[in-house]
Amino acid sequence: MATESSEGEEEGKAIGGNQHLVVDDDLREMAKKAAWSVSSCKTGNGVQFLRDDNLDTYWQSDGAQPHLVNIQFQKKVKLQLVVLYVDFKLDESYTPSKISIRAGDGFHNLKEIKTVELVKPIGWVYVSLSGADPREAFLNTFMLQIAVLSNHLNGRDTHVRQIKVYGPRPNPIPHQPFQFTSREFITYSCVR
Amino acid sequence: METLLIDCVQSSLRHFMPRNSIFLCERLCAEFPTELNLQLLASCYLHNNQAYCAYHILKGKQMAQSRYLFAISCFQMNLLSEAEAALCPTNEPNAEVPNGAAGHYLLGLVYRYTDRRKSAVDHFKQALSMDPLLWAAYEELCILGAAEEANAVFSEAAALCIQQQQLNHGLNPQNLQIVSEDRITVLNRTLGSEDMSPRQLKNTQGNSIRDIPGNHHGAVLSGGPASQPFNGGSSNMSVYSTPSPMPAQLSGVAPPPLCRNVQPNINILSGESSPRSTVNATIQGPRRKFVDEGKLRKVSGRLFSDSGPRRSTRLAGEAAANSNLNAPQVGANGAGHSSARYLGGISSSSKLGLAASRSGAVRKGQTSASESFDDGRRSESFDDTRLDNATTNSSSASSSGDDKSLERERTSTQMGGVLTNGSRISSGVLELLDLLRILGEGYRLSCMYRCQDALDVYAKLSHRQYNTGWVLSQVGKAYFELVDYLEADQAFSLARRASPCSLEGMDIYSTVLFHLKEEMKLSYLAQELISTDRLAPQSWCAMGNCYSLQKDHETALKNFQRAVQLNSRFAYAHTLCGHEHVVLEDFENGIKSYQSALRIDARHYNSWYGLGMVYLRQEKFEFAEHHFRRAFQINPRSSVIMCYLGTALHALKKNGEALEMMEKAIVADKKNPLPMYQKANILVSIENFDEALKVLEELKEYAPHESSVYALMGKIYKRRNMYEKSMFHFGLALDLKPSAADVAAIKSAIEKLHVPDETEDL
Repeated sequence: MATESSEGEEEGKAIGGNQHLVVDDDLREMAKKAAWSVSSCKTGNGVQFLRDDNLDTYWQSDGAQPHLVNIQFQKKVKLQLVVLYVDFKLDESYTPSKISIRAGDGFHNLKEIKTVELVKPIGWVYVSLSGADPREAFLNTFMLQIAVLSNHLNGRDTHVRQIKVYGPRPNPIPHQPFQFTSREFITYSCVR
Repeated sequence: METLLIDCVQSSLRHFMPRNSIFLCERLCAEFPTELNLQLLASCYLHNNQAYCAYHILKGKQMAQSRYLFAISCFQMNLLSEAEAALCPTNEPNAEVPNGAAGHYLLGLVYRYTDRRKSAVDHFKQALSMDPLLWAAYEELCILGAAEEANAVFSEAAALCIQQQQLNHGLNPQNLQIVSEDRITVLNRTLGSEDMSPRQLKNTQGNSIRDIPGNHHGAVLSGGPASQPFNGGSSNMSVYSTPSPMPAQLSGVAPPPLCRNVQPNINILSGESSPRSTVNATIQGPRRKFVDEGKLRKVSGRLFSDSGPRRSTRLAGEAAANSNLNAPQVGANGAGHSSARYLGGISSSSKLGLAASRSGAVRKGQTSASESFDDGRRSESFDDTRLDNATTNSSSASSSGDDKSLERERTSTQMGGVLTNGSRISSGVLELLDLLRILGEGYRLSCMYRCQDALDVYAKLSHRQYNTGWVLSQVGKAYFELVDYLEADQAFSLARRASPCSLEGMDIYSTVLFHLKEEMKLSYLAQELISTDRLAPQSWCAMGNCYSLQKDHETALKNFQRAVQLNSRFAYAHTLCGHEHVVLEDFENGIKSYQSALRIDARHYNSWYGLGMVYLRQEKFEFAEHHFRRAFQINPRSSVIMCYLGTALHALKKNGEALEMMEKAIVADKKNPLPMYQKANILVSIENFDEALKVLEELKEYAPHESSVYALMGKIYKRRNMYEKSMFHFGLALDLKPSAADVAAIKSAIEKLHVPDETEDL
């Protein structure tokens, strides 16, 4: 994980990009075991470049808008945060400007949960999936779809360099209603 | 040229110059390709960590020492079946294991690593009986869970055995030192002493002093046959026959039950009046010599000097006899001690063998001469010992001994000890056995996880011994098992200060710091360990724990895998790999890692626990219960294990047993709050809300800052429809900053406070 982040601009729903990726400790990357697919891609810039931890490689779409990135999980998971890396300086008209996030059980019942507008972003863009209600801190879903609805300068295709999806850490002790917080409990809670 | 080369090789080995020794030894083997020289070359290779070379040259050799060295090379190359075949050939089922205790110990290790626990235990026990000071064998027995009480092992009988060996061995260091002398002077002197002895009725100190060189040189020669036992038991006869006929003759002469005689002798040495007459009456030549020797040592210097030439033959006879009976004993002693003190131990023994062969002819003559002397002397010695004033005799003997030790610079202190009163040996031996008894008992108890008892035992040690790295880290381990991490931290940091370069137990220390969440200390420890020894698995375990504490589980896993690569027999590294796999939710690999750990050490209860946790997560509750129960059987005092066993039982709906287990856990460790919490959980599930609330109220006193306690209480009040109290407790729970998931859960519970919760899955 990284250190500090530089602040981005906030204009209503538009979010700037952060230089560094900073995530809370109690979140972890969820999508390692998920199935990733895209609506279209150019040869040599396929879906794997979204997950290769390399910010120099990118996925390039090759079809009509909206461009879709589908993430399907094996079971219902709690998700909290989606982070994308995009770079206006390098990608210019390929940089996404409007992104919609949808969730559901499958392709047939996806429902939009969030839309964000980006303005010349350079770096990591955080999109939180929590609702306003504290009860809805997490999104419980089988499938997540990230749709690029439009690009900067009206570009047709889009470049996305990296996507990460975060959810809460599971309870280290199974079959517990609540997680332990105090030192005494945690000390006695496991054998290493 | 051969002897010169052998000398050079051995001195190179003594001075840690392996390349020199290998080169010269290869020249030696080219010129004089005897098997003994090959053994020397093999030991040079082994000293240079080139086990594969030793393996190649010793393959197929049948001499006992060759087989032993071959087995060591196989073991280092991890060819366990070949090592076993070498030590214990299948077509000779009654062959004695070469090199006695050391051989049995090696064979025990082979069996242990090939999962034949019972045979391993047998061989370790045999090794211990042959050499009670072979601590490593006792340690292995403790690890296998089959150790007897230390009192039984390091007992009086052991003391007698050791003294017996000491008497033999006392001269061996002399031998090793003297071996480098000119052979000719050796021969001359032995002849000389032979002449002198008839005139030694009125021996003066000077005479005795002059005699001592003779003694020692005689001892050299006798050291020859004494060293033959290094070459092992069953092939003794063959060994003897190859270099010289003389040892064979002696071994033929010396009857097997020498040990029986030895024991009465030792009694004599310690000043008891035992039936000497009966002893003397029944024995043949060599035994008589030893008996005389014993008494002589106790009495005046006159007799002492008489013992001069006879000592050599006595030792020869005794050694040979011992080799027949206790070949392992002497051999092990020789192997153990000489290798401890002189790296060229094994090589020097072969050298001695050569020396013996060369002086064989001379020895024969000497032997017969001394035998006749013995007959003459015996009556006198009887008279003398009948006078038996132990103190005066011993003082004269000891004074003579002291003089001699002053005179001879090369006399080692052990030699002086041997020369002086036998009781001095026995007190040293008893002290050592006392020390080993305490350490052994402590180690055995901590392996059985009776940690409080182990700590009490260790507290009996002297300050000097207690404040050493090994003991302090054992103490630390004991506290760790008692889940008293603060004390463990203290003990381990003292251990670090006492021996900063020792890595034993440092993996456990890193786990202690992990539990205490001391990031700074842990990373400091890891860095220090890596800079001390990059190739030790403990260093990488510490590093891995450091990353794991920072929640970087992938790197932690890599570090643990590195530790496994460095030493695949280090069980804890496998267990830690398993823990990391499980955190990364890779259950398959986690199970594999835990099982590898268990293959290495079936009593590693952490791995049983790990497997239980995996199955608990996967909801395979029977498996979980089985594994937790195995862990519980190995460590019946751990309240954490009991707690989890109870959880598994609860998941299997055996609530009665689960509650029992929780009660046990609560009693076992008052400081552990978890069993009470789990008990409350179980009570809630069987809808005994009042009991549950009582338990939780009590728990509040123990752990006032645990949010899950209040959350559970809030839940219970909600079920009882006591909404204000429920609200109050949920609020308290939220104040204590639970995790995000719990915050969400609690808040939604608050929202739905007035909603009946049949459908709720909180």
